[in-house]
Amino acid sequence: MIKIENLRKVYSDNGYEALKSINLEMNEGELVCLLGPSGCGKTTILNLLAGLLDPTSGDIKFDNDSVINKHPKDRNIGLVFQNYALYPHMTVLQNVMFPLTVGKNKVSKQEAETRAKKYMEITNILELADKKPGNMSGGQQQRVAITRALVQNPKVLLLDEPLSNLDARLRLRIREEIRRLVKEIGITTIFVTHDQEEALSISDRIVIMDSGIVQQFDIPQNLYLEPANLFVAKFMGNPIINLFTAEKNGNNLTTKDFSINLNLLTKDRFKGELNKGKYIVGIRPEYFVLSQSPLFNVAIESVELIGKDAILNFNISGEHVKSITDINEKIQENQTVGFDIDYSKIYIFNEDGTRVY
Amino acid sequence: MEKLNSFIAKGFVVFMSIITLFPFVYMILASLMTFQEATSIPPTIFPEVPQFENYSVAMEQAPFAKYFVNTVFVSTVSTIGTLITSILAAFAFVKLEFKGKDMLVLGMAALLMVPYEVTVFTNYQTIAQMNLLDTYSALIIPSLASIFYIFYLKNYLTSVPISYYKAAKVDGCGDLEFIVRILIPLIKPALFTMAILSFISGWNSFLWPILVTNSTDMRLLSNGLSSFATESGTHVHLQMAASTISIVPILIIYLVFRKQIIRGVVKSGVKG
Repeated sequence: MIKIENLRKVYSDNGYEALKSINLEMNEGELVCLLGPSGCGKTTILNLLAGLLDPTSGDIKFDNDSVINKHPKDRNIGLVFQNYALYPHMTVLQNVMFPLTVGKNKVSKQEAETRAKKYMEITNILELADKKPGNMSGGQQQRVAITRALVQNPKVLLLDEPLSNLDARLRLRIREEIRRLVKEIGITTIFVTHDQEEALSISDRIVIMDSGIVQQFDIPQNLYLEPANLFVAKFMGNPIINLFTAEKNGNNLTTKDFSINLNLLTKDRFKGELNKGKYIVGIRPEYFVLSQSPLFNVAIESVELIGKDAILNFNISGEHVKSITDINEKIQENQTVGFDIDYSKIYIFNEDGTRVY
Repeated sequence: MEKLNSFIAKGFVVFMSIITLFPFVYMILASLMTFQEATSIPPTIFPEVPQFENYSVAMEQAPFAKYFVNTVFVSTVSTIGTLITSILAAFAFVKLEFKGKDMLVLGMAALLMVPYEVTVFTNYQTIAQMNLLDTYSALIIPSLASIFYIFYLKNYLTSVPISYYKAAKVDGCGDLEFIVRILIPLIKPALFTMAILSFISGWNSFLWPILVTNSTDMRLLSNGLSSFATESGTHVHLQMAASTISIVPILIIYLVFRKQIIRGVVKSGVKG
């Protein structure tokens, strides 16, 4: 449906290379999130898709047709902005009708109103028709903005951080609503966000971006379970993954305070040969497990309770480490406990961040 | 202490109001005096017997009806012209990207520093070369665009989120459609202030019309006021009567639109 080929964007005014070489392919009716820290290029991709920016090189195809030289209005897209961009001097109905009353897609006023009301019924905002955006809550404005984007019956819906202006509880509700709505209509949707929880909860697939490069494009659970590289491993997960620098000596990966016997690792998870040299070992907090025959013993510095789990903080190999255990273990501050590692769940990265295990 | 502060503050406001209002009040009082009262030293404040006939005498001194029509026509046309050119220019500066934009803004800002009197001569030359002297075009053309108002609107437009423009563009809205449907309704208060300030300055313009017109047919109200100056001295009382009449329309406009004017001025920090 959408095919992005070798897309590169350098901003001409300051020479900033926002996108290096992006290749992505999205399917009809799919809900894809562009996820990444600010400045990673995700909004640039959205603007390029919408035609609000011109790429430096590369191509974008909708249904195998290049849209690079097409004006935004000819691309058949709907766009929702972070601040909604509702026109404050128009009522909700007028806002939703607006795309049908301008440019070459102009239809008669009567028809515009009928079509607007049809979509307003789907998004449940019919009763707001005569209100002005200034008198509405963020959630309501959000719905109006989405309705306005849908009213031209576009093939692609682009959402630019649509939830970041809403309070936490509303955000949960609206994101479910958005997913239900776009799935009901069956429209291909691209959703930009910097909130991983948001992305994980609503997407079919997620594009993780950093410094103008696609780091990984995958289904949500794979991003967590099988990160393609160090960036993704660090970006996904909360508390964040624990990282140790280690050196390969014979059959052991040695950190300052403990070492990992490579024979204990799962053979088919290796992506390549481990040569002599330095590596980064990544261990998620839940894969430090309490053990009677521990790999190392350590004194717990502090304990944070988060519901059914407890986060144990301690120092080892010069790193501050967080580990998650069941609250029933009843571990106290200053208590010394023994830890082992779940070797089938850890990651090993080269120093440049590529994953080798 | 607080009471004292509020007293001082109020006193200051009253004092400033008196300073600002006195000339207007004196203009009206003087328009009702005899020539002797108006020119006496020490000055008279209140006329002994109000001389209402001053008004009719003053009106006969010059073709004020014609001046009035001229002034309304010239001010209206140049105000509409200024509105159109300023909106288009400010829109281009704020929402469009084009080469040399920064240079253009800089150049125009520099022009803003040039005093009006300097441009009078070159403007006169231009109008004379175009054979437009003593026509309405001569009166109107130089005031069809104003850098000051372009900058004023430009500032105002930057407060309109760029996403409005982008959203409209994606919806298939052209630039002119965007200006008419979205921009103008949003910046109405600014346009109001601008229109009124521009109208007032058109109404009060004196130097330019006297330079480019020769026939009384083409003169404006403020030129008419100078006709009271004769070789034997100025008929102050009649001049004041004529002045009073000439500011009445502006006062009416102000009273009708005062809410909009004040809103626009307060929001932008510009004073007329």
